[in-house]
Amino acid sequence: MSVLPPNPLLEGLEGERRAPPCTLVVFGASGDLTARKLLPALERLARRRLLPTAFSVVGVARTEWTDEEFQARASEVVKDALAQPQWTSLTRGFRYVAGEYGDPATFERLGAVLDDLDRQRGTGGNRVFYLATVPEVFASVAEALGAHGLARPGPGAFVRVVIEKPFGRDLTSADALDTCLHRVFAENQLYRIDHYLGKETVQNVLALRFANAIFEPIWNRRYVDQVQITVAEAAGVGHRGGFYESAGAMRDIVQNHVMQVLSLTAMEPPATVDAKGIRDEKVKVLRAVKVFSPDEVAANVVRGQYERGWVEGEEVRGYREEAAVAADSRTETFVAAQLSIDNWRWAGVPFYLRTGKRLPKRVTEVAMEFHSVPHLPFPPGQARGLGPNAMVLRIQPDEGITLRFGAKVPGQALQVRTVSMDFSYGAAFVEESPEAYERLLLDAMAGDPTLFIRTDEVDQAWRICDPILDAWAAQDAPLPSYPAGSWGPAAADRLLERNGQAWRSP
Amino acid sequence: MRPISLLSVWSDESVKVADVLEALDALRRPEPMPPTRTSVLTLVIVAKRRAEAARAQAAVHELGGRHPARVLTLLLDDSAGAGHLAAELRLLGGEADGRDVWFEEIELRVRGPVVQHLDSLIEPFTLPDLPVVCWFVTALPHVGDPLLAAADVLVVDARHFGDVACFATLAELSRRRPVVDLSWVRLTPWRALLAGLFEGPDFRPFVGCVERVEIWGRTGPRHLLGGWLADRLDLPSAAIGLSPAPHVGLRLHTRSPAGDRATFEVIRGDGRLVAARAAIADGPASEAVLQLPEATPAWGLIEALSHLERDAVYEPALRRAVEL
Repeated sequence: MSVLPPNPLLEGLEGERRAPPCTLVVFGASGDLTARKLLPALERLARRRLLPTAFSVVGVARTEWTDEEFQARASEVVKDALAQPQWTSLTRGFRYVAGEYGDPATFERLGAVLDDLDRQRGTGGNRVFYLATVPEVFASVAEALGAHGLARPGPGAFVRVVIEKPFGRDLTSADALDTCLHRVFAENQLYRIDHYLGKETVQNVLALRFANAIFEPIWNRRYVDQVQITVAEAAGVGHRGGFYESAGAMRDIVQNHVMQVLSLTAMEPPATVDAKGIRDEKVKVLRAVKVFSPDEVAANVVRGQYERGWVEGEEVRGYREEAAVAADSRTETFVAAQLSIDNWRWAGVPFYLRTGKRLPKRVTEVAMEFHSVPHLPFPPGQARGLGPNAMVLRIQPDEGITLRFGAKVPGQALQVRTVSMDFSYGAAFVEESPEAYERLLLDAMAGDPTLFIRTDEVDQAWRICDPILDAWAAQDAPLPSYPAGSWGPAAADRLLERNGQAWRSP
Repeated sequence: MRPISLLSVWSDESVKVADVLEALDALRRPEPMPPTRTSVLTLVIVAKRRAEAARAQAAVHELGGRHPARVLTLLLDDSAGAGHLAAELRLLGGEADGRDVWFEEIELRVRGPVVQHLDSLIEPFTLPDLPVVCWFVTALPHVGDPLLAAADVLVVDARHFGDVACFATLAELSRRRPVVDLSWVRLTPWRALLAGLFEGPDFRPFVGCVERVEIWGRTGPRHLLGGWLADRLDLPSAAIGLSPAPHVGLRLHTRSPAGDRATFEVIRGDGRLVAARAAIADGPASEAVLQLPEATPAWGLIEALSHLERDAVYEPALRRAVEL
């Protein structure tokens, strides 16, 4: 294998990483995810000049499209007419392979197209396979790629595979999927995507914690009284009723998004902010999360299901009235839990998690509430409006940080009241934030797995969630309903009230 | 969505700095402001002609609330006569990305000896702990200008100065302070496209085998591109041919040690479309097209204000540009 000379013209342009020459192969190319997320993300990458010149996309799906039909579909995703010529020029090189995933001929045709692109466009044998399909076909596509010699990179080239959540339905099925994938791909070829990690403000949790000396000393049990993580959605299940019936909030949100936010919030400082450094620490903290017995599940976890109500000024139907949802469904659309992290940093600090559909608003945030001062030297009447200090990391929408502290009310008397100091992420930076998929696609092409989930992270998240799901299944646990537009069932409030605490109003 | 608009204005034809500071404080007070202001720099626009100052201010407005900064415009009148300071303060506010934003513009019209001591004038207006960026829109400062001492970063536009001699001054200035050259920033798409053409195992071997370079464009940009290629590819000045044209373009002729020939070109076509193409004779070819953003005054400024540090590629490119 000959070593390529360096490219001195790239110097100074590397502040923004660019993908190396490669072909992106999208399985499920005629599907919703490709149209809504992947193609728009590629278009934005092209507009930012982050795609390589030697680049192509090959769509693979059952739909009987030609290259031209796939190219036309790709062109449609661009709303900005100004960007159209650039995108059209890029999409002209897109190719399409129609076929069943179980048919070897599909992969033979794919192999021929990839070889052809390498010869014509200089993509160098570099491939990223993106499995934007239903999870049931992950294993068969991986096996077929292996059987047709498409999983092993040529000399000096790379082959990576990106898979979408869910990574199994439980620990057992996640392990089975991994075993299957590992028969074909090495772990360092696997990029498990959780788009939450691609959000700028999720990554900003790392910047806030590990680039600032002032927060680290208070980021522990000595100062933090409680942590609340809220991932709320105003939307219902929409057209995903069928999928949601078999998933529920625990599998859809808690096992992945919430666990990722929890681990970034609670992890120890990594020695290096690279893939291994960060993922090692995330796994360590997930390993320290206490696993519940069935009785502890009943005491510390609340689930719920939304019924008819009003959200954002509109009356909406209840979950059991949604399309493709059983009239007697026992699927949870809401989960609240009190977790504990058994390590030196967090012992005794309750981590309250809350997620649900049809809550009053779409918001994701991490709120740390601090202990009160040991002695308040003001008479009670002068500090009536004073609450505990809090730091809120707002992840979406309205990304930013709020610090809540006490200040004197202007006037002759010494009155103290809580005020909020607000930092808006968007107002402090001129740069446009990349969309989550844009960032993650580029990372996968550039070979940076930092924001992708390693197999042991998946295992640890299931280790925490499995006993809860098992207890619910075995005990036929209560499934209280909550009106759409509320913050969940009353039982969720009682989780905190027993500790003398209350949920924030995000 | 409320567009950025003028909230309040104050002006006086003959003032002292203390008066302006007091007026600035008073101007903000009656307005219902967001809880805090987030600013990232103090931007000082230095101009001699009102039209130039207005163009620069328009560019800053276009950044809108996305890039909050205190903007101080110094309109210099270096004619002889007694010292004089006139001021106009404007408070602007509105909504950007769904959030309330506001920022101040301070315009000082300066005449007399103080023109030689602008550093003393701007210090009272700078925001604490934030970089001071001086944007010279009319002329480059001389290397002994005391304003350089008050500035953390200089913003210039080599295309605007229009002569080759400016590169020697820029090279000298860049030794004193980081220089952000808007011409250089605007050339980033050309540089990125050309660099990208050499990516991949087929094309990379040609990067060290450039025999001849053709560059066309206006004075300034074409010299910067020439200086960049001369420096990065270690080419003699004689290998670089420059010719005038309304738009920038370039073509590299290469021959590998095995005798294979390839050309790499980045050419602006119709409208604001830039096409890049690499072609190996009897081998693969790759091409990309890029749509340049609208040529508004803010184009380049956003990028420039995002990278306020020394540019280790620009500075040697400047030094080689002087030789072309």
